[in-house]
Amino acid sequence: MERSWVYRVVLYSLLTLVALVFLAPSAATWLGKDDKLPTWMKKHVQNKIQLGLDLQGGLHLVYEVQVDKAVSDKADRLASDLEEKLRKEKKVKQVRAERSGKDEIDLQFTPPTDAARLDRTFLKEYQKYLYEDGRDAAKGTVKLKIDSDYVDELRDYAVRQGVETIRNRVDKLAVAEPTIIRKGTDIVVELPGLKPDDFERVKNLIGRTAQLEFKMQDDGSEYMKKLSGVAVARKSEFPGLEIGHDGWQEKDTGTPHSDVYLRDKDKGELERFLASLSKDDAVPSDHEIGFEQVPAKDDEGTTTPDKVWRTYYLHKRAELTGEYITDAEVNWDPQTGRPEVSVTFDHEGADLFEKASGSNIGRKMAIILDEKINSAPVIESRIGGGRARITMGGFSDPFQLQQEAKDLVAVLRTGALPAPLKKTFETQVGPTLGRDAVEKAKFSMMIGSLAVVLFMLLYYRVSGFIADIAMVMNIVYQLAILAALGATLTLPGIAGVVLTVGMAVDANIIIYERIREELRAGKSARGAVDAGFGRAFWTVFDAHVTNLVAGIVLYSYGTGPIRGFAVTLMIGIVCNLFTSVWLSRSMFDYIVGRKQNATLSI
Amino acid sequence: MAKFFELIKPNHNIEFSGRMNLFLGLSMFLVTLSIAMLPINHFWRGHTLNYGIDFRGGTEIQVAFSGEQDPGRIRAAMQNNGFKDTEVVKIRDAAFPNTFLLRFGAVSQVSEKQVPEVEAALRASIGADSLRKFDFSEGGDKLYLRFNKPVEPAQIAEVLKSKGIKNNAVQRYGRPEDNAYEVILVGLDVEVRSALEKGLGAGAVHAIPSVESVGAKASSELLADGVKSLLFAIICIMVYIAVRFDFRYGPGTIIALLHDAILVMGAFALTYREFSLVTIAAILTVIGYSMNDTIVVFDRIRENASRLRDKKFDRVVNISINETLSRTILTSATVFFVTLAMNIWGTGVIRDFAFAMNVGVIVGTYSSIFVAAPILIWLNERFFKNVGTKSKASA
Repeated sequence: MERSWVYRVVLYSLLTLVALVFLAPSAATWLGKDDKLPTWMKKHVQNKIQLGLDLQGGLHLVYEVQVDKAVSDKADRLASDLEEKLRKEKKVKQVRAERSGKDEIDLQFTPPTDAARLDRTFLKEYQKYLYEDGRDAAKGTVKLKIDSDYVDELRDYAVRQGVETIRNRVDKLAVAEPTIIRKGTDIVVELPGLKPDDFERVKNLIGRTAQLEFKMQDDGSEYMKKLSGVAVARKSEFPGLEIGHDGWQEKDTGTPHSDVYLRDKDKGELERFLASLSKDDAVPSDHEIGFEQVPAKDDEGTTTPDKVWRTYYLHKRAELTGEYITDAEVNWDPQTGRPEVSVTFDHEGADLFEKASGSNIGRKMAIILDEKINSAPVIESRIGGGRARITMGGFSDPFQLQQEAKDLVAVLRTGALPAPLKKTFETQVGPTLGRDAVEKAKFSMMIGSLAVVLFMLLYYRVSGFIADIAMVMNIVYQLAILAALGATLTLPGIAGVVLTVGMAVDANIIIYERIREELRAGKSARGAVDAGFGRAFWTVFDAHVTNLVAGIVLYSYGTGPIRGFAVTLMIGIVCNLFTSVWLSRSMFDYIVGRKQNATLSI
Repeated sequence: MAKFFELIKPNHNIEFSGRMNLFLGLSMFLVTLSIAMLPINHFWRGHTLNYGIDFRGGTEIQVAFSGEQDPGRIRAAMQNNGFKDTEVVKIRDAAFPNTFLLRFGAVSQVSEKQVPEVEAALRASIGADSLRKFDFSEGGDKLYLRFNKPVEPAQIAEVLKSKGIKNNAVQRYGRPEDNAYEVILVGLDVEVRSALEKGLGAGAVHAIPSVESVGAKASSELLADGVKSLLFAIICIMVYIAVRFDFRYGPGTIIALLHDAILVMGAFALTYREFSLVTIAAILTVIGYSMNDTIVVFDRIRENASRLRDKKFDRVVNISINETLSRTILTSATVFFVTLAMNIWGTGVIRDFAFAMNVGVIVGTYSSIFVAAPILIWLNERFFKNVGTKSKASA
């Protein structure tokens, strides 16, 4: 008995210590004493309780991705593609292909006998997308329908693109803790801490239709050599700026290419450097500088987890834009076992791409989404037929390569089928509103907690004191877990903490009333404590489970502040089971365990 | 024996089970009243419930004015500048002294009605046949335009401005030969501010602390999802109770929980408080919490049922309710006081949440004793009488 009690004290003290360590960074921030934290803590315990945007102000937006539009756009494109192909390859004189409904294509052949030219072998090329849904030989009409698996894929990609695009744009904003969550076909964007002056600008930026462009790099240029010279000369002004050298060979001829570029961990510094250039050194008007974020390499050339921004010297004119792409997908190159991305262009796009690739063999082509270079593959040969393959390079592991390939596909498709985003929900909160609400919530929380603490002391005396300690520990553990998870505290979340205060003592009341009953029945203090805790445990457990069920449902239903509430509530419930049952039990064991004739103040 | 500080003395014996019909009748009356309040509100106050913006759709803007303002004048200023039927409510506990909540149906600067006018103006200015496509995403903040020929973005902006539509940017998108343009409209808060300053004088608006706008589709989805999640939670809890106890205990819990949810909603209908996402959250919390008392009572009934086999089941229930009465009341009281403090000193969302909890704690406690238990007795009498006698015979 005594021994096990010692173990428990050690265990609980350790737990509490861990909880306090997790809580320390958040507490330091609230008190404005960040600098007083020991360095080891700053290094290892970084997660903090974040304040939700209802508390610190900010912008909350929900966009609906109009997935049906993505499907009908695809149907439109397939229809015009079919028309053209039937004319060119099957020599059909007159055919009209039109979308009907969301996912059907009606073809009308004149004369009707021409409909026979649309046969199985022709459709084979489209089998991933379409199947024949009916045909009237006499009228010369054929109905095609988009494959439902493909429709699902389109919808899924449309939302994924939306998320990708929004993330790209939000990354540019330098907001402290942005969250972008996908919820069905909705995209939820939360930007806590954003200043009201920026709301308008940020909404514009996020809502814009994405632009995908392909531009050629002008490698080995005199200008970049000159620019690197300037960068070296002004090293003291821009300490982060470095010069990089790049080299590769043409696959067929072996002609070497080399290039000089600038790199910097801080993109802002790069931009400042470029903006500060004198008129003579400025970027020529028919060129521009693009930026790509790449893994940094150490002196031996192996990649490190750090990321740096590097420049590309590009021809300003875009060779192609995303609108010429009809599809993009991830494939596996059977020879190398590496993933590759294949891109399909429409007829005009195929011509443009053939010309562009033919006259730029050996050069790098930058794929640019929203002014950020996503990838810059080397063109190995003249590419005709409207299909291009992008081999994923680098030394990364296969899984990472595949992830990169998927991201690139999402980017390429963004250009192909920009599914429109529709704003369905918007909340703007100024910072003052939050501050005022927090003050009042704090006050009501204090009054409420104080009332509960006093009541327990009065009603149950020493045992009430134990319940109060358990309740305080409950809040400590609850906040510590929130901090460890880096969870977001919202206004309803504070209500959740306050509510936990009220609920925390409930378990104790249920147990205490049971102990009283046992005492009335004539049991000894120790016997009553054993029986009270033992019998009441399952009652308390069941009650906690039903609360938890409600919390889980709430979590899956709500967004933003409501979710914050559900998280606090659920964590509170779990901690409460621990503090009110086990922690307070230990304190009781200490009181009744030492003497034979212990009395209980309950 | 030690003395306890007791609010409810042990050995009391209040008759609950015998008065079952009385309490069930009262509950039924309250449930009927709650439901009847919906159509009554619909005719009397205009809406079945005072739905918040998240369920009604539209825009809600808090505006802090620099000086005293009259709601009528605010409404007129809004009306004269294109915002019809604005509800204006003074907020008493706001951070700024003269804060009003403005609520109106529009969610974007351009209304459905304006669309044809704008289209006509564009045709008149740029050429009747040149405009190929005119797309406006309802609830959106953008216009999509497509022409037969290249048009200067500045020209489009000019035409829109002449129709009173301000915009932030006109940009090309798509292929160059598509001649497609995207117009990004100015946010509503900017529009409201200029409408108010026009009507009430420059500098009248001190700040706009918050803006919330919800599209029509999102709002109806949110409400449907809310109701679904409530039912889902109730069913999950019922299944858990039926498994943990036995299935006789299931129906009582489900009806008690529905009862609680409906009465809380009824309280919102009667007081015409704002019914929002937070209210749904509060009702879900009430449902989880109100089970606590039911479990305490049911647990005791189960314990006593095997102990007091010689007694009739309704007596067992009555004894159990009496035995657990003090803890039922005490546990509810602590949560009630905490939420009452939030109700009195909290603001906005917190206060509505606390109000729902206050009502919920009371009806939840009431329903565990007066709804869940009688239904358990009734089910037992009606369907399990024989089972009971058999087990008694074998014992």
